[in-house]
Amino acid sequence: MIRLTMFFIVASCCFSFSQNKQLLYGFSEIPQSLLLNPGGKVKNDFYFGIPLLSHIHTNVGITGSTVYDLFAKDGVDFNTKLQNAVYGMDSRDFFSVNQQLEIFSGGFSFGSSYEKNQYLSFGLYQELDFITYFPKDLAVLAIEGNQNNINRPFKMSDVSVAAEVISVFHVGYNKKINEKLTFGVRGKIYSSIANINSTKNKGHFTTVNGQNNFYDHIFNLDLEARTSGLASLTDDESDSDSVVKDLTKRAFLGGNLGLGFDIGITRQLNEQWSMDASLLDVGFISHTKDIENYKIKGNYVYEGVNPIFPEIGSGQTAEDYWNEIEENFEDIFEVDTTTAKYTTWRPIKFNASLNYIFGEQEYEDCNCTRTEKSYLNRAGLQFFAMSRPKQPQLALTAYYYRRLFNGLQIKTTYTIDSYSTYNIGLGVSARLGGMNFYVMADNFLQLKNIYNAQSVSLQLGFNYIFNKNEN
Amino acid sequence: MQKRKIMHSFLVIALFLSLFSCTKEIDFEQADDFEISPVIESSLVFFDESASSFLANGTEIISIKDSIGIEVFNNDFVIDNLIKADFVFEATNSINKAFQIQVDFINDVDQQVHSFTLQALASTNGSDLLSNHVEVFEGDELEALKNTSKLIFTLSLLPGGTINPTTPGRIKLKSKAIFYLNIGDSI
Repeated sequence: MIRLTMFFIVASCCFSFSQNKQLLYGFSEIPQSLLLNPGGKVKNDFYFGIPLLSHIHTNVGITGSTVYDLFAKDGVDFNTKLQNAVYGMDSRDFFSVNQQLEIFSGGFSFGSSYEKNQYLSFGLYQELDFITYFPKDLAVLAIEGNQNNINRPFKMSDVSVAAEVISVFHVGYNKKINEKLTFGVRGKIYSSIANINSTKNKGHFTTVNGQNNFYDHIFNLDLEARTSGLASLTDDESDSDSVVKDLTKRAFLGGNLGLGFDIGITRQLNEQWSMDASLLDVGFISHTKDIENYKIKGNYVYEGVNPIFPEIGSGQTAEDYWNEIEENFEDIFEVDTTTAKYTTWRPIKFNASLNYIFGEQEYEDCNCTRTEKSYLNRAGLQFFAMSRPKQPQLALTAYYYRRLFNGLQIKTTYTIDSYSTYNIGLGVSARLGGMNFYVMADNFLQLKNIYNAQSVSLQLGFNYIFNKNEN
Repeated sequence: MQKRKIMHSFLVIALFLSLFSCTKEIDFEQADDFEISPVIESSLVFFDESASSFLANGTEIISIKDSIGIEVFNNDFVIDNLIKADFVFEATNSINKAFQIQVDFINDVDQQVHSFTLQALASTNGSDLLSNHVEVFEGDELEALKNTSKLIFTLSLLPGGTINPTTPGRIKLKSKAIFYLNIGDSI
């Protein structure tokens, strides 16, 4: 338990990842922006992602203390810093990891030959999602013990962990209905490679002043961890070859399967104003194979041992009495292992933005008449929300986008979220011939000392694109 | 021309991204200094009996002896991390007779490794008389505690007035252990 607590403390102070992709959202020159809004604008006729390189996403962040807070070489005693970190955080602080890697993707427009207003996109990506909240009560119990915490309940609900590795096969449909309205949907098949889930723990451990003795120690425990896809990997019979084979099979729809969808819309309000919104990963995974669940449940109040007069008249000796207490303890801490099926819901994400384009492009070397005005700048506000075990994760972003040249666009963002209130990001998308490359990172202010960063994200990828009206 | 401009701008931005990131000095080896010192309190033994409980078929019981086998002190975690323990006893006597409670610590080859007694003084006027005892385990005593696998409790009535079925009063005992842990390099 103490090792585990230590792990959580250290882990909480290290990096974490979140799922907000504020730089990519609405960046319609990059085909992967359709994964954030299937009803977004499409700016290409056909694309394919360079396999394994088309979308690499890691987003590093943390709430609470940072690596620097704990490990700075500043002469302050490590344990003092550790305690400051523990006391400075609460049970809503979290450490979360999100990573995505696109295996392959592609898309093409279709429709009547004079106006290809529909677009089909598809792909397979792998995603890792992990969140653990900081188990504050258990950390305090480990650091202080119960002596100075009489009457304080140490809550088991502070233990909240969910981890999942999945692969997602998806097909999306996007249709520009008219100049004002575009909508899209994306169907997803999830294949869960491995899942751990322990988010509904209840109960407490409390020491209170007792009647018969100094203290009553109240153990009220209701803890459960559900896993799928892990039991077979830790089998004695499995070796590294069989594990790799097994994982590969699961990545290609051979795991615990689930279904979900994304939905999105873009609405042009007038020539310069537009708004859009999307709802992602509305779906579930049904865990039926390779399940192992663990449960600890029970109530027990321990007040000590009555060695001399245990239940007078019953003839029970102190040894019997003590054995009974030991059995009670064993019962309450006994781990029940089951293989009951369970269902998990994907974390739902919501995106919305309001956008304004301005700054008409001037054409020095062209006298031709253009039917469509072309704007160089865009600015707007974006909102992001995501369901999490304890409370939603929210972020608000203001952005500025500029087309520097036809083949080079940049976007800069300012984001307020759970991690920080001063997150500045920069993204750039370049196109040379048909090759598109994009890279985006955020939290520039904190990059001065990366160990003190609460969140740093990086996304990059390569695509091959055939654009409309070009080439 | 356009392509070269794009390429240059891109390189400048990429360079900017990579130069921007730097670190201040940190030292992960500090984790070796990790040390926490929780203090755990746990109820130990207790009883609460009237004077007449000390009569068997009308005659006074001189002493009552009982034992419990206990493994918690031999646990590796306790052996590695327990640096001190206090056993705190509080006897409340309202019987006009003194009592003595002896606690013997026995190892797994049935040798006594430690022993102590506490006395509950006689209450001459029927009011509660408190007697406290704190047994501190440090150094050799702590080692003895870590070797203990059985505790023997002996309650003895000390010489003085006699108990009969109408003797008033009760004797109560409460106790707790305070375990001082220091968890660090063993992790």
